[in-house]
Amino acid sequence: MTPEAPKVLNGMASALLVKLMPEVRTPFGQSVAGMAGMLAFVLAQESDRAVDRLHRENEAVAAILRDAAAILPDEALSDRAREAAGTRTPPDLRVSTMQAINDRLRAVFIEVHAAIEDTPGDDARALEERIWEEIRESTRRRHLEALM
Amino acid sequence: MESLLARYLEPCLADCRDLKISHLLRIPGGASRETWMFKAVWQTATGRQSQEFILRKDPPASLLETDREAEYAFYSTFAGSDVPVPAMRWLETGAEHLGSPFFIMERIPDIEASTRVILEPRYDEARPKIARRMYEILAAIHTFDWRDTEAARIAAAPAPDDCWRTELDRWEATIDENELNPQPAVRAGLRWLRRNPPPPAQRVSVVHGDYRVGNILYHTDGGIRAVVDWEMAHLGDPIEDVAWSFMADWEWARDGLKGGIIAGADAIAIYEKTAGLAVDPAALHWWSVFSNIKAQGIWLTGAKSFQEGRNQELIMPVVAYTLINKEDENLLKSLGRDK
Repeated sequence: MTPEAPKVLNGMASALLVKLMPEVRTPFGQSVAGMAGMLAFVLAQESDRAVDRLHRENEAVAAILRDAAAILPDEALSDRAREAAGTRTPPDLRVSTMQAINDRLRAVFIEVHAAIEDTPGDDARALEERIWEEIRESTRRRHLEALM
Repeated sequence: MESLLARYLEPCLADCRDLKISHLLRIPGGASRETWMFKAVWQTATGRQSQEFILRKDPPASLLETDREAEYAFYSTFAGSDVPVPAMRWLETGAEHLGSPFFIMERIPDIEASTRVILEPRYDEARPKIARRMYEILAAIHTFDWRDTEAARIAAAPAPDDCWRTELDRWEATIDENELNPQPAVRAGLRWLRRNPPPPAQRVSVVHGDYRVGNILYHTDGGIRAVVDWEMAHLGDPIEDVAWSFMADWEWARDGLKGGIIAGADAIAIYEKTAGLAVDPAALHWWSVFSNIKAQGIWLTGAKSFQEGRNQELIMPVVAYTLINKEDENLLKSLGRDK
């Protein structure tokens, strides 16, 4: 049994910010130690949640793309949205694999958002609101509570 | 570094012998350029001379890819004007002396630049004076006649109705080049900016480009000794600077005061009275949304330079992790889409 990565990173943050920083003689050196400590603190949060965040986001974006495909007037974009939504399941659970899927999904999501803004009708307006809610939710998923 | 600096400076200083460099210290911050201070002592026919200097040196890559020659030109433009700036001494655009381009300016003694220190109780009396001076100086920058100056030589002047497009094109290109991942909020913001252009600029002015607490050198007496960091300076719409100085990113005290030191309405009143320019609410809003986009362009550039190993300064991932998502949150607020 080894200590979990977030525990280790928080320990590193504490060592850098509380123990090392006051011992460093120059303001620039203190600044570097402070930033290293802050990064360890941030990465402790991110390492624990990254897979969960990416999984939830990929599912949410794929659902919007599937629904958008039914109402988009541009058939080529509809096909791209459907295709992207269909390839959301990762072959493994590495962060890099899930991030690559997230990048593909969000690239099409941007195209869909732009197209829906120019699409008339109640269905388009309702979908546009869902897209904005997903953008808001994406900032909540990435929020670092203790820092900002 | 001391010996390289001494070798460079000795021929630059008149009648200079036995030049010694001491007190060389890197200054924290300065994410786009390395900033160092040092003291030079030398002998001349009339005796011992000494002077403290600031060195701004290009890193391999940074938060910003800017031209130090342009920054130097804007500093030089305001020398001796109502806009206080440090005295520029030497500019080197090659890498042969210190390994990368740099410029050297005279150090201004007995000042503070921290965004936190200004919020401390010992600045309670000075803070309102500094805030007033900050917007009086901004008015002086914007009413300065830049024609026939170094700034006019180095920077193109857009037409009044093209200021917004020039800057938007520039920062959209920066984002296109530097985003590591797709940015849905930023792309929505860019579309909004193009669909809702601001009114034409009332005048084409020098725009500092990064005017905020943090880039002013202030004193406990309430004075501002210099405005620094002109690396994003250009000619354009003066309201751009007002909006940038109002960004939520700089509300250090988290109390709604701009830069942690002044209410927006008070800043506008001082600025309008001094500059004789009106701060149109529609223009201010457009430039506020633009400021979120421009800031994101800066943060994304730093993130990419670290990811690609071109810059290993820890400020780059710190900015990426703490500011990119925060900027999306701020952008949603500016667009009225935060709830």
